[in-house]
Amino acid sequence: MRKLTILLLLAISACSEPAEVVSESEIKAYAAVYRSAAVTPDVQEKWARTCALCHVNGQGGAPRLSDREEWQARLKKGSEVLMVSTVHGLNRMPPMGYCQDCELSDFAAMIKMMTGDDP
Amino acid sequence: MITRRRLLATSFLPFATGLSPFALAESRTPWRNWSGHLVSHPKGRFAPGSGSELADWLKVTDGAVRPVGAGHSFSPLVPTEGHLIVLDRLSGIISHDADTLEAEIHAGTRLSEAGVPLWQRGQAMFNLPDIDRQTIAGALATSTHGTGAGLKSLSGYVTGLQLVTPGGEILDLDRDHEFLPAAAVSLGALGIITRARFQNRKPFRLLTKTWVEETESVLANFKQYSTEWQHFEMMPLLHSDYSFVIAHKESDEPLLEPEQDDEDGFLALIDATPVALRGALINTLAAEIEPAISVQPSYQALTNLRFDRFNEMEYSVPANVGGDCLREILKAVIDNAVDVVIPLEYRVIEGDNTWLSMFTGGPRVSISVHRLASESYATLFDLVEPIFWKYGGRPHWGKVHTLGHEQLSELYPRFNDFVELQQQMDPEGRMLNPHLRKLFRRT
Repeated sequence: MRKLTILLLLAISACSEPAEVVSESEIKAYAAVYRSAAVTPDVQEKWARTCALCHVNGQGGAPRLSDREEWQARLKKGSEVLMVSTVHGLNRMPPMGYCQDCELSDFAAMIKMMTGDDP
Repeated sequence: MITRRRLLATSFLPFATGLSPFALAESRTPWRNWSGHLVSHPKGRFAPGSGSELADWLKVTDGAVRPVGAGHSFSPLVPTEGHLIVLDRLSGIISHDADTLEAEIHAGTRLSEAGVPLWQRGQAMFNLPDIDRQTIAGALATSTHGTGAGLKSLSGYVTGLQLVTPGGEILDLDRDHEFLPAAAVSLGALGIITRARFQNRKPFRLLTKTWVEETESVLANFKQYSTEWQHFEMMPLLHSDYSFVIAHKESDEPLLEPEQDDEDGFLALIDATPVALRGALINTLAAEIEPAISVQPSYQALTNLRFDRFNEMEYSVPANVGGDCLREILKAVIDNAVDVVIPLEYRVIEGDNTWLSMFTGGPRVSISVHRLASESYATLFDLVEPIFWKYGGRPHWGKVHTLGHEQLSELYPRFNDFVELQQQMDPEGRMLNPHLRKLFRRT
């Protein structure tokens, strides 16, 4: 029989999250923001103190920065889908991925950085 | 450094571009708390790199401001249509004193990032809450706590702090300052805390033991267990007669990592079982759950990353009525067939002398109920909150509750002193949002 901590984790992961309704205008806005976003030193600094908490070592099942294949598969869903996941949260990732001072353009740039969609 | 010119340009941008209010809201980056049920559209965000930078910014701005730590509060302490002050850039250990075992820490430091550097300096915090992503500022603002007889909330170990007032004045409150007990638990309403000094202790390892035991047995032995184990808590399994027990005591034994998951779907099975049958199922399976032991540094044993998101209500009641309050909640959940799987939490916390800590005046036990973030919490929380009131419960400031000024001023001997101080330090009400105005009865 499993140990206590395991049971607790199971308890709070027993249900999956329902999809949140996102307006078409919000998705369009995200797509526009994504197109013009650029990775800058400021974005990298914000990423390092927030997203990196989970996306470097894969805590909570987060895809690792180094796992290009995984990120490419996610990017195929559409950049606006990744934006929605970031802003609204997804599964174990909280809304905004703990970056309280990130603007939408920052999130877009971080997605470009992590997916390798930043030529 | 932000300039007045840049600030004004930012503030008037919507008017210059002719955006409608609807478009304005959509064009702003939203803010959401960790669980996702609180949302706002701040006018802007400011992340200062120092207390003086923050002070300068406050002097040249007006309008509402609210500080935000990690966004882990379930009560609307943060939401505002004004500016958010983000403390992320104020992170790390500032200084330490090897003789007094005190350390000054930037207020934006996450608890997960304090343990190792403190250890390297020969110090450890006495106690920690269970979510490690929280910031020092957020934890202090809400009197966040762990568990352990004789162990206070984080606010109870503050020996000094720096507070930047809404008008941009920097105040250093030392251990003897008359307002330190007010600022140590301030709901972020007196100003913005940029650094805090803690009374710490020497580093220590904790042996952690977990087991399952009948809830009535744990309650009967709670005082003894809390004496034997430095940090002790129980997590009653709803609809059943059993609780998980988590206990820690200091140890010199070699490090022993907790065993990794090889999950068998125990609670997934419970979740899939009709509510009426869960008690029998859990009571049958409980005996099969083996105790587990690990040995870790205190900062690893006590606090960690909480994976799945939820909303929470927590009240602290006087220790001598904790058992009765718990029993009534357990019975209410069964009587009303509430479909909830996440266990309750039952912890013990020492009293302190801060004005607004839930533990001011003496030790209390805290009882927490949770609902997954994807579920409505109204049914469960509406059911249990009046039970908490019946036992003189004080709500956790960062968790869901419905109390206002009238009730709170009866629960806290110095509540009105705090409201008066808040008015003095923030005459324009810059630090207030609708939730805080309700608590402090300020218009």
